[in-house]
Amino acid sequence: MVEFDRSAFIAKFQEEATDLLQRLNEGIINLEADPADRPLIDQWLRDAHTLKGSSRMVGLMEISDIAHRMEDVMVKVRDGEMTYTPEMSDLFFEALDTVVFLSENAGKPAADEHDLDDLMSRMVELATSGVAAPGSAPAAAAPAPAKADAAAADPADQGDAADEEQDAEDLDVEEEDGPAHEAASAGDGPVRAQREETLKAKTQATVRIRTSQVDRLLNLVSEVVISQIKDQQRVRDLRAVATLGTEVHSMWGRLKSMLGLLPPEEQGAFVDDVRLLDELFAEQRKMLNGIVKEYADDSSRTSTVVADLQEHAMELRMLPVSTVFSTFPRAMRDLARQYKKDVDLIIEGGDTELDKKVLEEINDPLVHIMRNAVDHGIEPAADRVAAGKPAKGTIRLSARQEGDHIVIEIADDGAGIDPDKVRAAAVRKGYITESEAKSLSDREARYLIFEKGFSTAAIITELSGRGVGMDVVREFVVERLKGSLDVTSELGQGSRFRLTIPLTLAIIRALLLRVSGQTFALPTSSIEETLRVEPGEVIKVEGREVIRRQKRTIPLVQLRDILGLDAVAVPGTGEKIPIATLGFSGHRLGLVVDEFVGEQQIVIKTLGSHLRRVDNTAGVTILGAGEVVPILNVPDLMANGRQMTGMRSRRSGVVKEKEAGPRRVLICEDSFTTRELERSIFEAAGYAVETATDGAQGLAKLREGLNPDAVVTDVQMPNMTGFELTRAVKSDDLLKDIPVIIVTSLERDEEKAEGIEAGADAYITKSVFNQDTLLDTVERLIG
Amino acid sequence: MTPEQPAMLAMLQAQHMREVLKERAESLAQVGEEASAVETVGLLLFRLGEEWYAVGIDRVREILNEYEVTRIPRVPDFILGVINVRGEIVSVTDIATLMRVPSRTEVDLDGVLPSAVIVANESCVSAIVVDEIGDIVDVPVDSLEPPLSTLDKTQGEYIAGSVYIDARLIGIANLDKVLEPIGENG
Repeated sequence: MVEFDRSAFIAKFQEEATDLLQRLNEGIINLEADPADRPLIDQWLRDAHTLKGSSRMVGLMEISDIAHRMEDVMVKVRDGEMTYTPEMSDLFFEALDTVVFLSENAGKPAADEHDLDDLMSRMVELATSGVAAPGSAPAAAAPAPAKADAAAADPADQGDAADEEQDAEDLDVEEEDGPAHEAASAGDGPVRAQREETLKAKTQATVRIRTSQVDRLLNLVSEVVISQIKDQQRVRDLRAVATLGTEVHSMWGRLKSMLGLLPPEEQGAFVDDVRLLDELFAEQRKMLNGIVKEYADDSSRTSTVVADLQEHAMELRMLPVSTVFSTFPRAMRDLARQYKKDVDLIIEGGDTELDKKVLEEINDPLVHIMRNAVDHGIEPAADRVAAGKPAKGTIRLSARQEGDHIVIEIADDGAGIDPDKVRAAAVRKGYITESEAKSLSDREARYLIFEKGFSTAAIITELSGRGVGMDVVREFVVERLKGSLDVTSELGQGSRFRLTIPLTLAIIRALLLRVSGQTFALPTSSIEETLRVEPGEVIKVEGREVIRRQKRTIPLVQLRDILGLDAVAVPGTGEKIPIATLGFSGHRLGLVVDEFVGEQQIVIKTLGSHLRRVDNTAGVTILGAGEVVPILNVPDLMANGRQMTGMRSRRSGVVKEKEAGPRRVLICEDSFTTRELERSIFEAAGYAVETATDGAQGLAKLREGLNPDAVVTDVQMPNMTGFELTRAVKSDDLLKDIPVIIVTSLERDEEKAEGIEAGADAYITKSVFNQDTLLDTVERLIG
Repeated sequence: MTPEQPAMLAMLQAQHMREVLKERAESLAQVGEEASAVETVGLLLFRLGEEWYAVGIDRVREILNEYEVTRIPRVPDFILGVINVRGEIVSVTDIATLMRVPSRTEVDLDGVLPSAVIVANESCVSAIVVDEIGDIVDVPVDSLEPPLSTLDKTQGEYIAGSVYIDARLIGIANLDKVLEPIGENG
């Protein structure tokens, strides 16, 4: 979902490129043997094309250009316009080697840029020296197997290549603190050689294992953990049996001594049996106690080993956060440039270790927060100086372990988040009413920035204000990572985002509770309090049930109503009512349950491959006795619970949009390629697509009653421009509610301003255009 | 046809096994599964209400006679819940409800549960609840027919084809449809 931060994907690109380059090299070797092998050429072209597209996506324009040139030549070979010669192989190998070098150095140009230019010109020469007239070479491009994702091959951003190159040059100065991670920051000659040496030394002590293998191992380990828990339960059961035995024994002792009091003549008949029974009891007791003790000892020894096993197994997936953090200096640089701000990024605690699964998920939320900090936090230099702050802003990213959690903080020294502005925007957008806004504390108000689609900006651009970002942060951190999210801010001093994330996703603490005769697990991390209140403490306000806690009103909802379960054996009126209060993104909700069972650690399992996503249920866990217990999904409970208590009236419609049939979008675009690209993107996402080749045609369709959910338009078109179309739509009472998204190669601020003035709801420039940006934007506007 | 499939059938059909072995012995030089002259497909029959259906034996992982279902709230009505199969969580599908097969006794999760067949395709696993498990039969591929055109549309989706066995029409379940992931898009 991160559309601008190409650098974050460089490592992934490098992985992919290694495979592609391998195949491309092999392809050349095989072609030398049989230059007419058509399937081989086609495969080779596909690989080159993929390389071109992928490198472009991560901003490695030189690689993209080289791949492009290679394609040009090979297309001519394929089409018979040229014959394959050994000289071509030489040049191809040289080109591929250059790509390898560029890739390993993440785009940092080879020792001398002239080499690159020279290579390029020689390739152009090769491509043109055949049949085509000089200068028209690029026309041969794009034989492309119709892959839509080839990064909107728009010549408009060709100019960026030079800039990117400059960026790359300065890239590696910061952050050498993560020596463990990969190629992203390797220097020139000597440094590189040294790195290879250390790598060599390292490989002897390490084994590369596929993540899937580690995951399988972890699955098995968690099975062992579960059976160990069962084992301990059995130890407890056995102890209970032994205690029973002791009671039996002491009762027997009393009985025996009473028997001893009987006159001897009456004892005679069973004295032998009594003695025998006495011996048997003693023997049985001795054996039982022995077994219980040994079993308990064994079990506790095993549990130590199992705990170690689990810990070490988990460690297998632990990686330093620097593996993710190391891409940030570059990302921050790009961000600072985009927003024309001057920002320093300070990274601390890069060696803190985190579960790989968590790490995979943490990148996007962090980037979103940093983008937010650069865009909304850090003020322009002049404002900063005027406020008595250093001209250059500082963003501090730190990670540290606290108990079984990792705390990641992103702090900026910018303007801070003004709770009043947030309140105003929230009211304007209909999230809350005026009176609700007043009752919110500053902290709660700030939390509104995590609402879906929320933005204080007046118009959407690809940079910010799309309301994409902070809700994604919440989704990732809370829903996917089972962590918590906090924001503190002081006006004029800056903001601090604090992400608390569990060390591992596999095990959490949970409160077991019962409702309607079934047991559920509720993750402890989101529970604020567990209470047992007198029925008299439940107050009715405006038809809703609430309780007061520390001067706050907390709405109550029956958990069984959220889950759609039947009421079973309602507790007597005199009894106290068990309530778990949840705190989630600034809201509170009291869940009324039937009974609390207790708190314990649980191993999270998914609902299986068939049930991919179930409302309110995050997964299941298997308790010691083998009982399967659903784990409740707190964000779902909050959303559904708030809806039921009437706290959340507006956004509820989103869920039902599916039933209204496919969403429709009108695309106005004069370029056939762009039109079809956009069409394929929307159709793939399930939209019904209408197209128009210019603004006038588009407007005509709209006036004929097309009524799409959104209009996506280019700016420069014959007959009627996108701006004119936007103005026409926005001044038409029947059409003005249809969101208009301008997609254009015009990037200058004045043009953007014209788009805003025309009344466009979003403005996306083609240079950062990709399918996620477009879809996200449209979906936010419709949703 | 997976390589182990003839073996599975053979266990249950000793006679068939002997035939296969004989044929194999005769054509040892040939490659693998080309042994049987007529290409056949193995089907596991099961009953829903009054009707008999079948699934390809290569999709069957195991048959459960005893299991304990944990209900999951807010799932479609044909999902009875999940079960724990040696540490793996598997959904339980009430295939009769899904396929709208009439005249069938209600499943009482607290009472005695009917047998279930764990079936899988490339992406999903589920235990389908049936009224009765039938035979495993081996039918020639040629004898498979398209589904009856008289089936209504919703029902027809879940039937991949039909076959006559002992003059009885048997619908072959379209497992890819039955095993469509639930809640994928929100």
